[in-house]
Amino acid sequence: MSCQKYSGWLTDAALGELRAEREPELLAHAMECDACREALSHARAVYEFVDRGVAALVAGEPSPHFATNLRRRIAQETELLQSPWMAWAPIVAGTLALAAVLAIMVAHRHVRSLPDPNVASAVAPIAALREAATASLASPQLSPRTVGKHGPERTTQVRPRTTALPEIIVPKGQLSAAAQLSAAIVTGRVDGNQLLAAQQESEKPLEMKPIEIPPMEIPVLDDATEKPANSIQF
Amino acid sequence: MDALAASFPGSEVSQDESLAREFEQRLADCPKLAYSVALGVMHNTAEAEDVAQEAMLRAYRSFHRLRDRERFRGWLVRMAFRLALDRIRAKGRRERHEYDATLATLSAQPEASVENLVASREFERQVAQALDALPEKLRIVMVLAAIEGYNTHEVAKLAGLPEGTVKSRLFLARKKLAESLQCLVKNTPVG
Repeated sequence: MSCQKYSGWLTDAALGELRAEREPELLAHAMECDACREALSHARAVYEFVDRGVAALVAGEPSPHFATNLRRRIAQETELLQSPWMAWAPIVAGTLALAAVLAIMVAHRHVRSLPDPNVASAVAPIAALREAATASLASPQLSPRTVGKHGPERTTQVRPRTTALPEIIVPKGQLSAAAQLSAAIVTGRVDGNQLLAAQQESEKPLEMKPIEIPPMEIPVLDDATEKPANSIQF
Repeated sequence: MDALAASFPGSEVSQDESLAREFEQRLADCPKLAYSVALGVMHNTAEAEDVAQEAMLRAYRSFHRLRDRERFRGWLVRMAFRLALDRIRAKGRRERHEYDATLATLSAQPEASVENLVASREFERQVAQALDALPEKLRIVMVLAAIEGYNTHEVAKLAGLPEGTVKSRLFLARKKLAESLQCLVKNTPVG
């Protein structure tokens, strides 16, 4: 029991941190108890190892050239700082930093202005489509020729070209369909007026017709119908 | 010294000379301190000297703020310790793996006497590894306390800590080191 009490003191004693009033008690016990005496001796040896080991690690002197080398490094640094072009160093550094920031901004803007590669190829055919459709719809003289009582006929009229048409971006899957429609309008196989009329028709609001509901006739019931045979009577 | 006096930029000549004289005094007694601290972290004399030079060079650059001797020494110790830790981290862990392999062979060695063990290169490596495993705040206190001639009071001044804190950290550091090295000392005859 007493050995357990003293085992906690052994480390403190070995490190020289045991309270002064406890030390005589521990030493007295160690004189009587072989195990505690050996444990104390071992703990002291361990801490001696530790202290000597760490002391051996940090022991040593810098080389005799230490001060000379340091002075040389200081002189080199001073020389560098006092050279005439070093006065321009902050300005050059600032200019370079500013140029780098500007380059990054320009590059970022350029990247943002580029169209998506998936839809870029669709721009030209759709521009042609718009051009053809606009020309077709804007020419009133074409209407009687293209929309007659015998149905639509082919037209070979050259349409006026517009130079600044807005570009329409077509999703990738609809590119070939848009190109075919463009070609059909250009060659006259499809009439632009009909397309426009169909589009206008589809854009018309739907007419709402009120539904007339006739009033319901309520039949007059006699006593027999009012009280069915299977009704429960209380 | 003339070179040093000329190298303090932007000051009057007399002030430059005064600064140079004071720096020369620091150069006479402080490099060993910086070197020992760096050696305690790096365990390599050439690298420790390089770190100590770098710490002294930085101290020189800020010397107008560090003219007080005690302040200068404390600053130098912390700078050397920090620079050494940075170097170790930058070096990576490749060498450490080689180190571990050597230690594994040491553990398998038969019993050795105390003196042989302490004197052996392998024991030094084992201690170094245990020291490296300590938390930084314990390690710097342990390294400073191991430098010859530095007691708890001196360590407290250098580390910028209260003396009681230094004592408790030192106690904890030695205890942890003893636990790490227990297996090495266990089989060694003592006394």
